[in-house]
Amino acid sequence: MNEVLKNNKGLSLTIGKSLFKNPVFVNSGTFAGGVEYNAFFDISKLGAVTTKSFSLEKKEGNAPPRIWETSSGMLNSIGLQNEGINYFLDTQLCKMKELGADIILSIFGCDTEEFKKIAAKIKTIEKELKAVELNLSCPNVREGGMAFCAAPGQIGPVVSEIKNIIDVPLIVKLSPNFNTIIESAIISKENGADAISIINTITGTAFDIETFKPRLANISGGLSGPAIKPVALFHVYRLAKEKILPVIGMGGISCWQDAVEFLIAGACAIGVGTANFINPVISEKIIEGIAGYMVSMGFSSLDEMVGKAIKES
Amino acid sequence: MKLLSGEILANKKYGSSLYKLEVFSPYICRNAIPGQFVEVKCSTEDATDPLLRRPFGIYEIDKRFNVFSLLYIVRGKGTAFLSRMEKGQNLDFIGPLGNGLKFDLDDGKKYILIGGGIGIAPLCLAAAHLAEKEKEILFIAGFKDNVFFSWEKDIAKITQNYRIFTEDGSFGEKGLPTSYLAANIKKLNNSIIIACGPSDMLRVIQEILVNAHGFTALSLLEERMACGIGACMGCVIKIKEADGTVVYKKVCSDGPVFNLMEVIFE
Ligand SMILES: Cc1cc2nc3c(=O)[nH]c(=O)nc-3n(C[C@H](O)[C@H](O)[C@H](O)COP(=O)(O)OP(=O)(O)OC[C@H]3O[C@@H](n4cnc5c(N)ncnc54)[C@H](O)[C@@H]3O)c2cc1C
Ligand SMILES: Cc1cc2nc3c(=O)[nH]c(=O)nc-3n(C[C@H](O)[C@H](O)[C@H](O)COP(=O)(O)O)c2cc1C
Ligand code: FES
Repeated sequence: MNEVLKNNKGLSLTIGKSLFKNPVFVNSGTFAGGVEYNAFFDISKLGAVTTKSFSLEKKEGNAPPRIWETSSGMLNSIGLQNEGINYFLDTQLCKMKELGADIILSIFGCDTEEFKKIAAKIKTIEKELKAVELNLSCPNVREGGMAFCAAPGQIGPVVSEIKNIIDVPLIVKLSPNFNTIIESAIISKENGADAISIINTITGTAFDIETFKPRLANISGGLSGPAIKPVALFHVYRLAKEKILPVIGMGGISCWQDAVEFLIAGACAIGVGTANFINPVISEKIIEGIAGYMVSMGFSSLDEMVGKAIKES
Repeated sequence: MKLLSGEILANKKYGSSLYKLEVFSPYICRNAIPGQFVEVKCSTEDATDPLLRRPFGIYEIDKRFNVFSLLYIVRGKGTAFLSRMEKGQNLDFIGPLGNGLKFDLDDGKKYILIGGGIGIAPLCLAAAHLAEKEKEILFIAGFKDNVFFSWEKDIAKITQNYRIFTEDGSFGEKGLPTSYLAANIKKLNNSIIIACGPSDMLRVIQEILVNAHGFTALSLLEERMACGIGACMGCVIKIKEADGTVVYKKVCSDGPVFNLMEVIFE
């Protein structure tokens, strides 16, 4: 074990009032509640486990097929299938706590009212959460989802209403599908958000040239994986430069070198998503890789490396 | 389930696009049951194309030598990569995955295994398991053409009670396994049917069985997968539960074995 890993402080960071032991999170929807992945490594080592997005009621999601692989990427049209927030409260939270996971709860609502109702439900367990992430950017649902990013004015009330109900750091997750990230981040900050997560998936599609049918029953889906990394990195860099709020960077991160690239581009923490599917222990490897890199570069804390590329460019 | 690396002992060509891959893995041999599958990385270590692991049913387990095998058809990039792997290289895979087949061996029932195309692969492990326990089995296989010609010697080692049908009559009997089932449905009753193959075949079997009595029918389903372990919700199919409610179930972790009569084909 190297110095940085031994001295946990070197990798730690704060978002709002929460302390995270390291900057490696896993992305909503790619890790469920972490229970499955705990068969491969101790998930309590992660900076945070971001849960699948929960809505107020159970959601059945979109019709299959829901997945199509593209060059170094994948399209998904899951459509936020989830068991509803009560399932998180009654079943999943307990399991995640037993495993020692630091939890970011991702929530999703069609409108401010639904978000408020979910917030009221999580009020009683808010102390168990490191943060709440508001998924305002799902490309696969008809109501809510990335419509918030299409009209960022709607983001303000959601954030401020939730902030009034719960006392947990709030992360707003944004979409790259509209040119509204900076505007949305400013509105989020003005209404009390503590950080921005970018990027959610990029809308895309694929067709079968023999049957002329779309590859996904939903026709369109969200692109993720290595194919989107340069796009994600650019969005992170551009937003981080503005110094509006701390940025959690994600999109295609598949190895520690990718993670370091996001950190030097200004992300205070990073999220691993699609890469978990290919290598279920990759996020643990990324923590070790970042620590090793910091030692070799002589960085003794994350602060020293975050945003290095902004300073240089 | 574990993330594993196992040495390839052989990668034999069985037909024009059909291969059998033998892999050393004490863990799989100890823990896997028929119907379970593995998710294989079908590209070099850091390559990102093809990106996702590919699922394959476990075809054979040889506990004496700690070797399991996969039987696969080359379809696209991933399986083409697999076909180029050589003896001595390591296979990177996750497994065993899925619920698998759990048999009540004292039920006094016969087993009818019906495979279409590469769907025969996981059924062979089930057949070997049942034959070892001296259960009565009938294996019915259906193929388009003679690609599976060399496979016959494998099933013949497990049971003599098998029928092979091909659409073009190039080997076995000319015809469809489903026509055989329909014609013999009365004398086959009091059986457990286990089917794996294209959804068109499974749908026909479902239709035949709707009006038949004395059968339990299980099916092994396929859907495109990402995580393979129940985390991403990518691999769902529609199931009509006993109480009539329609739900999405994950092929990778709720399945791949489902009650055939509950599957909704669209
Ligand atoms: C539980 C399970 C068990 C399987 N067992 C076997 C097996 O024992 N032997 C075997 O040869 N194949 C098996 N398959 C199918 C195998 O996973 C696909 O053939 C393989 O993923 C194709 O990869 P590719 O990169 O070569 O082709 P791609 O370029 O990805 O696709 C080529 C063609 O294969 C189809 N295909 C791709 N992935 C799947 C999938 N997951 N399920 C169904 N069709 C798919 C595509 O629709 C396309 O028509 C199984 C699939 C599942 C889900
Ligand atoms: C199968 C799948 C399901 C996802 N579900 C969610 C979700 O429920 N909520 C959410 O905010 N993002 C969801 N995402 C988006 C990811 O959290 C992430 O933002 C995106 O995939 C980019 O990161 P990656 O390339 O590392 O996967 C999902 C992505 C995938 C691939
Ligand atoms: S493939 Fe991810 S849930 Fe089945």
